[in-house]
Amino acid sequence: MAIIAAIGRAARTKASGLLYGLGFFYNVLKETGRFFRRKQVGYKVLIMQILFTGYEALAINAVMAIAIGAAINVIGSSLLPQFGQSQLMYSILIVVITRELGPLLTAFVITARSGTAIATQLGTMVVNHEIEAYIAVGLNPISYLVVPRFIGVVVSMLVLTVYFNIFGLLGSFIVVQAVNPTPIGEYLGALMSTLTLADVFSGLTKALVFGVIVSVVSTFQGFAVNRASTEIPVAGIKAVGSSFILIIVADVLVTLVQYA
Amino acid sequence: MPEKPSDPARPAIELRDVRASSGGYEILDGACAAFPEGLCSVVMGPAGSGKSTLLKVAAGLVPPDSGSVLYRGAELARFGRRDEAAFRAATGFVFQDGALWADQNILTNVTMPLRVHKAWLGPSAMAELARETLGALGYDEGMAFRPAELSAGEQKLVSIARAVIHEPQLVFMDDPTANLDEDAAERVYALIAKLRERRRTVVIVANSSELAYRFADRLGIIKGGRLVAFGSYEETVGTAEAALSGSIARLKARGERAAAPEREPRGVREPDAGAENSQAGDV
Repeated sequence: MAIIAAIGRAARTKASGLLYGLGFFYNVLKETGRFFRRKQVGYKVLIMQILFTGYEALAINAVMAIAIGAAINVIGSSLLPQFGQSQLMYSILIVVITRELGPLLTAFVITARSGTAIATQLGTMVVNHEIEAYIAVGLNPISYLVVPRFIGVVVSMLVLTVYFNIFGLLGSFIVVQAVNPTPIGEYLGALMSTLTLADVFSGLTKALVFGVIVSVVSTFQGFAVNRASTEIPVAGIKAVGSSFILIIVADVLVTLVQYA
Repeated sequence: MPEKPSDPARPAIELRDVRASSGGYEILDGACAAFPEGLCSVVMGPAGSGKSTLLKVAAGLVPPDSGSVLYRGAELARFGRRDEAAFRAATGFVFQDGALWADQNILTNVTMPLRVHKAWLGPSAMAELARETLGALGYDEGMAFRPAELSAGEQKLVSIARAVIHEPQLVFMDDPTANLDEDAAERVYALIAKLRERRRTVVIVANSSELAYRFADRLGIIKGGRLVAFGSYEETVGTAEAALSGSIARLKARGERAAAPEREPRGVREPDAGAENSQAGDV
């Protein structure tokens, strides 16, 4: 009986945590709707978030994208001719980079950089009573602290995904030049003729969903810090772990919907 | 929420049977108090007695587990967005540890209430007000510093300036002279005296008997999360010595106040005598 009671208590705790999280998400969406409709002091936070999450991650994202694009080309160039399917190289590049790896790897980079930063920063603010100070002066922490981070991460996620796609295809072009020199016009023409609107839409939909996940999970974990400074790194770890799991689950779900 | 500044039938802030906990520990255990409009109320108690939580609950920063907090007769928990904004515009809060925003400079820290509630003033007027307010408190460091670059005492002064710069009707102060040297403390006393002159409602929680001696129109004693006494200075000093030996004994030893304020509240209602949980009769 004790085991059943313990399971019941754990289930109840999980359920209430889930409901609390959903309530938090609802509040974030509600305040986001209000964010652009009123004069307020949160724009600076938004700009700083886009600079940190988007601009400062450009370099690492570009390097990763070039490397992945090159690797896909090397593998494809050695495997596809064996099956007489060399012409599929461009299709594979588009599908793998634009639909899957672009949004997924960008989300991982943003989670590792910005997710931890957001969770630990907000956690530190909770411990130092800075959140209470915002409430005391009349600023809603969701509106002032969460919404700019939410918008900043989502916008950065979309932009970085586009960048990843461009640099991924560029990386592939570099390998093409080394193995089989091709004029850039010809290379781009072949890519563009393969690229469909559905590919672009698919990648950006995933980027949007992943951006929402990273920002909401990270801010939620930051606010979940209670009193002790030892809870701050734990919040960072939880933000990364939960974001990774939810991103992978969401990736599968969005892919299923797109191919169903 | 009532918009008018005072109503003689109501206290500014009233706590009714408030319970609050944190991390599984009960901090407030049925606290009852009514802080009169236009007067200075001081609540004293030993470390860990629940003073800070009492103040945060009264200011609507910490929601109580049960019981209610009323601002001019309206329950804080039922406030909508506009009521909440009006309440915040009418109040200021001094945190025990300053609670300055680490990523903002001093100017932004101090002017934030103005940017939220008096945005029409413009940046230069706000900066001028910030300089005036900080100057009156004796802060003479730069405005571009970050809080981490200041001493604890200076951070406290900035926190006090932030709480009063928008001229709130009601000021909550958590140990306002902690970490301050004697000169700085005197300037804070002068500020509190000025607030009293202007008939602002001031609620202070502190360990310092000096604050109670100088300013308490109403004096409360908190012990174990309960307000064991709350009334006029003379009543509380006369009856509560058993509840809190050190501070009250020191007040009692000082005798009658030389400048005992002959002030009538602008709307006093004594805390519910029938609120058993206040245990006022226990002391």
